[in-house]
Amino acid sequence: MKRTILSLIIATISMISFAQKKTSTSATIAFDASTAIDDLPKAENKTAIAAIDPAKSTVQFEASIKNFAFSNPKIQDHFNQKGWLNSDEFPKATFNGVIINPSAVDFKKDGTYIVNVEGDLTIKGKTQKVKTPATIVVAGKTVKANAAFNIKLADFGVEGQPITAGKVSGEPKITVTAELN
Amino acid sequence: MKWLLIGGGIVLVIGVVVYFYFVNLKHQDTASLTVDYTVEAIAFIKEFENDHKAANKKYGEKIIAVRGVVTATEPADTTINIKMADTTTGSYLIFAFQEQHMPEAKKIKEGDNVVIKGSCSDGVYSEILGTYFISFKRSTIEN
Repeated sequence: MKRTILSLIIATISMISFAQKKTSTSATIAFDASTAIDDLPKAENKTAIAAIDPAKSTVQFEASIKNFAFSNPKIQDHFNQKGWLNSDEFPKATFNGVIINPSAVDFKKDGTYIVNVEGDLTIKGKTQKVKTPATIVVAGKTVKANAAFNIKLADFGVEGQPITAGKVSGEPKITVTAELN
Repeated sequence: MKWLLIGGGIVLVIGVVVYFYFVNLKHQDTASLTVDYTVEAIAFIKEFENDHKAANKKYGEKIIAVRGVVTATEPADTTINIKMADTTTGSYLIFAFQEQHMPEAKKIKEGDNVVIKGSCSDGVYSEILGTYFISFKRSTIEN
C-alpha cells in the first residue's frame, strides 16, 4: 500500500513537472543582415525570454531591441534609430506561436524532435505570420530549442537606402536558440 | 585640369579613410569607461518598477556600476549571463558580458556579492513573466 501511494506521488510530481511551462531568460536571438559587400549588420541578443508550454503547445519569445549587441557602435546606433527599429517607441520584439504538429514531440521522453511552429512575430509595432521548422531536444527536465528563418524587413516597416544599396539584407536571417527549464 | 585631378584624388583618399574608420570602429572596453551611475541592484530595479519610462530616460545606454547579490548564472549559447533579481517581485537585472571579460564572469557563483559594470540597454515589462527585466550588454566584473 505504501509503495502504491509512493508510486502515485512520484507519477503525479513527474506529470506536473513535465506539464509545467518551460522558460529561459537567457535565450539567444541572432540577427544577420550581412551581405556580400557588408559583413557588419549582424547582432546577437543573449538575454531574450523564451517559454514553451508543453500542455498547450505554445511557444513565446520576447527580446529587448536595445540589447542586440553589434560589434560596430555606429551600426548599433543606426539599428535603434527612428528610421530603422525605432527602439525608443518599440522597445520589444515578440513572438507568440504554437507547435502545429504537437504529436511530433514527446516532452516526457528524451530525444530530438523536429516540429513546425507558426505564430505572430511583432517588430516595430507590426505583426506578421511566421512559420518555421524547429528542433526540440528533450533531456530530462531541460528542453533545448532552436530555429532559423528569414524575415522581410519591409513587412515590418523597415526600409532604407542601405537596403536598396545592398549593404543591408532586406531579408535577414533570424536564429533562435534557447535552453529552457 | 591638374588641380581638378588633385582635388578629386584628395576627396577620394579622405572618403576611403572615413569609410575604413567607420567600418573598423569597435566598442571600447567597458572596464576603461567612466561610470555614469553607481547603484544598488534592488533599489535600481524598484526605479524601473515605479516608472520605467523615467528610468529608461535616465539610464538608457549609460554605463552603470551595479552592486548586488547574484541570484543566478545562466548559460547563454556558449557564454554566460548573470542575474540579480528582486525575489519579492520577480523583476531582475541581466548582464551579458563583453567577450574579453567572459572568463571572470564564469567564475561568479550564485550568492556572490559583486559589482558589475555595463551598458544599460533598457528596462522592459515581460508579458511572458509578468515582471520587468533590465538588460545590460558589454558588461565586466568590477570587483
